[in-house]
Amino acid sequence: MSNLGIGTDEWVAQHEERSASQSPLKKLFARIPLWAKWGSFFVIAFLFGMFSDNQYLLRVGVNLALFIMLSYGLNIVVGYAGILDLGYVAFYGFGAYGYALLSSEQLGQHWPTYITVPFITILTALLGYLISLPSRRLFGDYLAIVTLFFGQVFVQLVLASDNITFPWADDYVDITAGSNGIPGLDTFNLFGFIFDDIKDYYWLLMVIVLILTIAIHRVSATRIGRAWRTVREDALVSEVMGVSVNRVKTIAFVAGATIAGFAGTIFAGMQTSVFINGFDLPLMIMIYAAVILGGSGSLAGALIGAIIMTILPELLRVPNYGAILFFVALLLTFFVLSKKFSRFLIYVVSIILIGFAFQLAMTAIGVTQANAEDWVVGFTGDLLKNWLFVPENRILWGNFAFILLLTFIAFFSIAKPIWKQVLLPFIGFTAIFLWEVRLIADVSTTRQLIIGAMLVVLMILRPQGLFGQTRVEIL
Amino acid sequence: MLKLSNISMEFGALKTLNDLSIELKEKEIVSVIGPNGAGKTTLFNVITGLYKPTSGSVRLGSKEMLGLSPAEINRAGIARTFQNVRLFLNMSVLENVMSATFGRTRSGIFSSALGLKRSRKEEAEVKEKAQELLKFFGTRLTGYRWDQPAYSLSYANRRRLEIARALATDPKVLLLDEPAAGMNPKETQEITEIVGSLRAERGLTILIIEHDMHVVEGVSDRVVALDYGVKIAEGDFDHVATHPDVVEAYLGKGSTATK
Repeated sequence: MSNLGIGTDEWVAQHEERSASQSPLKKLFARIPLWAKWGSFFVIAFLFGMFSDNQYLLRVGVNLALFIMLSYGLNIVVGYAGILDLGYVAFYGFGAYGYALLSSEQLGQHWPTYITVPFITILTALLGYLISLPSRRLFGDYLAIVTLFFGQVFVQLVLASDNITFPWADDYVDITAGSNGIPGLDTFNLFGFIFDDIKDYYWLLMVIVLILTIAIHRVSATRIGRAWRTVREDALVSEVMGVSVNRVKTIAFVAGATIAGFAGTIFAGMQTSVFINGFDLPLMIMIYAAVILGGSGSLAGALIGAIIMTILPELLRVPNYGAILFFVALLLTFFVLSKKFSRFLIYVVSIILIGFAFQLAMTAIGVTQANAEDWVVGFTGDLLKNWLFVPENRILWGNFAFILLLTFIAFFSIAKPIWKQVLLPFIGFTAIFLWEVRLIADVSTTRQLIIGAMLVVLMILRPQGLFGQTRVEIL
Repeated sequence: MLKLSNISMEFGALKTLNDLSIELKEKEIVSVIGPNGAGKTTLFNVITGLYKPTSGSVRLGSKEMLGLSPAEINRAGIARTFQNVRLFLNMSVLENVMSATFGRTRSGIFSSALGLKRSRKEEAEVKEKAQELLKFFGTRLTGYRWDQPAYSLSYANRRRLEIARALATDPKVLLLDEPAAGMNPKETQEITEIVGSLRAERGLTILIIEHDMHVVEGVSDRVVALDYGVKIAEGDFDHVATHPDVVEAYLGKGSTATK
């Protein structure tokens, strides 16, 4: 490469060399055709549907499919078009409540499914269009605030619509049943075929997800998809280059809303009940987490993100799995931080020694030990019960440990390298202590903590998400 | 072809353009020169619809451009580049050019989603057109480069890509905002040739802002000099370059005498 002539492009000339230096695993993955990667997911889903009769797992599958639809839709709005829509989940709720009102005793309406679902879906699309009109004029944080407001308006409207008085009527009217939710919805009934088994919904959703995958993949690669991305990159230039920015934004908004509304109707039919707290910010955060985790603007990312965000919380319901994840993550962190294997061993041995020292110290000052049966959860507890000293007052000591851990970490972040090495085993021990004493028994908290921690770590290591492309802002 | 008459652009009390009139005949190349802050880029922003002038009119052929949206003006046949190169940095080189065909193509979301034949055909045409346009700049924007993100390009290549993107909108009039800024002498020479061949091969009418006097001398049929939003001189290069007002605007009062 040394004798390049003037005007020859060095980067172009080195192209072959650069592609040869890629890792073999990466190359192999790149060589698998796109349809095969996607196909494998659907084949697995198909085989699972064929051979599994486990109601719980099928239900997880249905939830996953609904979540995939939501993250696909949000990926169009946020990932492709770059519209930061924080009220997106309201469309899902609108679809669900729309179906509920037309298929229950709440209003005494029992419309046939093949009319209700398209009707409500189109209505959601219209709602998306209306909300896009003010939203498309805004950017960034202003847009986020306005859409957040729309989302909350939906929640408040549903909550308040159980008690509406009209000037001409004496009595109030109950439309949405407020916070009580609407139970007893009709399940789907398509031309006499009644969806009375969770598996029926499973198959329906699998077909929908397959069709959506193909459709969105095609759109994103062609004219409208390109226009979405130019709007995300630089809306002003996009407009100057002949793209009708407002129209393109509206298309993205409506497409996202339609998918969410459609998913909402299916959810309501499957669940046969709707409650407003299911369509509030926590779900919104989960969908955003899925899209960002997978890589905003990547269809495969939206799928993988949805899978992770559905399967992981389910897995973490079992304390043992949470414990495994915790200890693996802890060991990995130490391994990465210690850089050398010998140092890693020193850390591990130090933590063990600190454990025994802690035992001695606690016994010496006369703190009563808790009974093993009271705190041992899962096999890690069994493993550690003779080493770890667990005081009887676990809440008090757990809180101490929590504050201590935060203090250690705060010091760690500003300490000199030598002190970092000293601090690290203490941080490790405090984390284990806190985990076994307080966290492991409280599954609903720990799984959120673990998911949050994983997101933080992933975003630091790979800000563009698993499948996202590296974005460059200004160069 | 392009006729600007009596354009004034005021930002509060500041008159950036003051009763400015410029007319471009078909296939003419006109340069706009002037010191920084003279109102050159404002002029471009007015023509492309980004600014609404306080008064005046912009006509392309017989059609009034004022009041149209930037996208509509672009589709009417006016394309531009930017002084501070503004590409879609996170999209591929080819996509940058392909995206600019939006106004000339028709595929909607449904025909794309269904993979209809006409949408596939249109997609193939757009791709070929984009590749054709990039070949205009030799081999440096072709081949595997097509699929690389625009941010991986060097500065000079970004400027070239921006011209290719503007061409993809099928313009009649091309506005180039300092195409040679930051280029070395060899690249500057190439830009001069490219501007010439854009007219020769594509029949474009070109309005160009440039500080490099070699480029201005090399390409212009006519030169317009601006200062404080006022046209201070107009004519062929030699006439404008030696015009006392122009020399004064660039070098300050009294410069003509000491020269």
